[in-house]
Amino acid sequence: MPRTPIHGRIGERLGSGTGSSLEFQDYRPYTPGDDLRHVDWAAYARSDVLAVRLYREEVAPRVDLILDISRSMAVTAQKLRAFGELSGLLACACASTVAESRIITTSAAQPGPLRVPEDIERYLVCEASLSALEETHLPLRRRSLRVVVSDFLFPHDPDVLISRLARDGASLAIVQLVLREEAEPSAGGGFRLMDVEGRGELDLVLDDAAIQDYRARFSRLRLGLATASRRVGARFAQVIAGTPVRDVARGLASAGVLEPA
Amino acid sequence: MMFATPLGLLALLAIPAIVAIHLFRRRFPHRPVAGLFLWQVLRQTPEGGGKIARLPITRSLILECVAALALALILAGARLSSTGTSQHLVVLLDDSASMAAVNGRGESPRDRAARRVLGEIDRLGARARVTLILSGDRPSVLSGPAALAVEARRALETWKPEAPHHSLALGIRLARELAGRTAQLMVMSDVKPESAGEDGALWVAVGEALPNVGIIAAQRTVSPDEGRGAVSLTLGNYSDASVRRQLTVSAAARNVLVRELDVPPGSSSLTLPLPNGLPVVRVALSDDPLARDNDVILAEPRSQVVSVENRLREGRGRQALVKAFAALSGVTQAESGHLVFADGTELDRGQPGVWRVGFGAVLPAWRANGESRDFIGPFVVEKRHPLLLDVTLGGVVSTSISIARTSFARPTGRS
Repeated sequence: MPRTPIHGRIGERLGSGTGSSLEFQDYRPYTPGDDLRHVDWAAYARSDVLAVRLYREEVAPRVDLILDISRSMAVTAQKLRAFGELSGLLACACASTVAESRIITTSAAQPGPLRVPEDIERYLVCEASLSALEETHLPLRRRSLRVVVSDFLFPHDPDVLISRLARDGASLAIVQLVLREEAEPSAGGGFRLMDVEGRGELDLVLDDAAIQDYRARFSRLRLGLATASRRVGARFAQVIAGTPVRDVARGLASAGVLEPA
Repeated sequence: MMFATPLGLLALLAIPAIVAIHLFRRRFPHRPVAGLFLWQVLRQTPEGGGKIARLPITRSLILECVAALALALILAGARLSSTGTSQHLVVLLDDSASMAAVNGRGESPRDRAARRVLGEIDRLGARARVTLILSGDRPSVLSGPAALAVEARRALETWKPEAPHHSLALGIRLARELAGRTAQLMVMSDVKPESAGEDGALWVAVGEALPNVGIIAAQRTVSPDEGRGAVSLTLGNYSDASVRRQLTVSAAARNVLVRELDVPPGSSSLTLPLPNGLPVVRVALSDDPLARDNDVILAEPRSQVVSVENRLREGRGRQALVKAFAALSGVTQAESGHLVFADGTELDRGQPGVWRVGFGAVLPAWRANGESRDFIGPFVVEKRHPLLLDVTLGGVVSTSISIARTSFARPTGRS
């Protein structure tokens, strides 16, 4: 998980604020009332100015792993398998971090704790007719690290959605999992397209014009998510189903979602 | 399987129509997608098409074909003709009085007919439907149509044939209508069918030749001038030989006349003297197999005198009416009669309770709105009206008829 300064309760991880750890953070001029033990006497001898040494705080981070378990995440077996692998990877990362991690799949149920990576297996049944991200009141904790896994293939406004996910959080990471044919479909004749979440059906000939229009709209969707994420300081990564886990981990690390131990 | 209205099977044409619709309808292979909204802004392909593809056997197709088949069967009135279906028996019962003639064993054709019908009902079983029809002046339904067997049994017990006249032909016509094409038709009578009998009907003759003598006609007359009366009888002997019977005339439980008669075969007449002053007499023959035609009750005849008042003006009309009165018996012309003939304009005069017949134009106040009209018939007279008894208006042409208001005059006929 990211090692950048974060907020949280007193714990074992370095926070972004000033605290009482052993790691030096900065100097500041002495003011009456400061602890004399923190006065840097050596600096006073060199500069004849009283300065106080500041140390980083130690916090216990909280991680909220938000999983989209709607039927769209299981539109094909390959996508469901990729969703399991990606969720497992993130669960391992959460478990390896000294953090209080929870899994959120819906606002209707209490988030489940994530203590060991195997806890994620209970949440990999994608049968919901609605994505958790379409719900307005997710049980997110203040100042928590938030990691969202979804395909984001539902009608939404990226700015509104990402802002809502990032509100009162310490950090936010967006991971979009899609199939190759969802990102880059090819022409293939006529089909009756049926939305797996029951949003209707459509008879359509997938000719070149149709494919080009779809790709343009999908690119705008992805760009909108990336832009909105960047706007709130969140990290965004796209994972194509079928990519080896090792490569997925590298991609997430390069996007700043994960950091090497 | 039988069909009441086979034309309803034309609805089966809907099935190939449904198949054709499914065959020519363009069908794309299904493809589940996660984000349909990304495709929906695109140009949609119309669903119709003319390309023939292999017909997919879908639930929709099956249900539509089954619905069309069910509709066709309902319209055609399909019925299963299996043995489990109840059978319908239509029986025409001869309701003439001769069916009650009792033989020496105390058994009548009615008893034999009832026993035969009950046996037929037992053979068909408890689920059978039975219709019993009585012949008579007009055929009537004794049980049913298509009554349960138990109801038919009860109705049959109440059957007492006593009709003086009957028409088996009318009864058979009604029975055929109620039987339709599927029911079994039986005719129970005491006479044999004419020639080859009724086509498609089982005619059961349960009659038996018995020496019956009956009173066919009777009339009582009074001669006031001579101070005595008479009874004229017409007797019928339905056997082949002369039969001896005792004739008794009684009044007020007292025998007035007793006579032994030898009645020849066929019809014979006789006249018996009768003293005056007897109010009601009973003329009876001695017992024989059919008791119903053995006696007759005759009331004292009284002459009815109708006084007629002729108020018509002098002319051809008045003279014609006088001639008509002269040709009728029992009609007396009087100054104040029960029946008044007058001009149409004078119908409002006269005593209440007197019948008035008007000739010519009706009173203006009685005239209904509208112009006078000509009527050339046919005319429908009110048969129940006493003035129109036995009156027919064939060949009558009425010109310039003014319609009277029904509040002043009651019409006795219609055109």
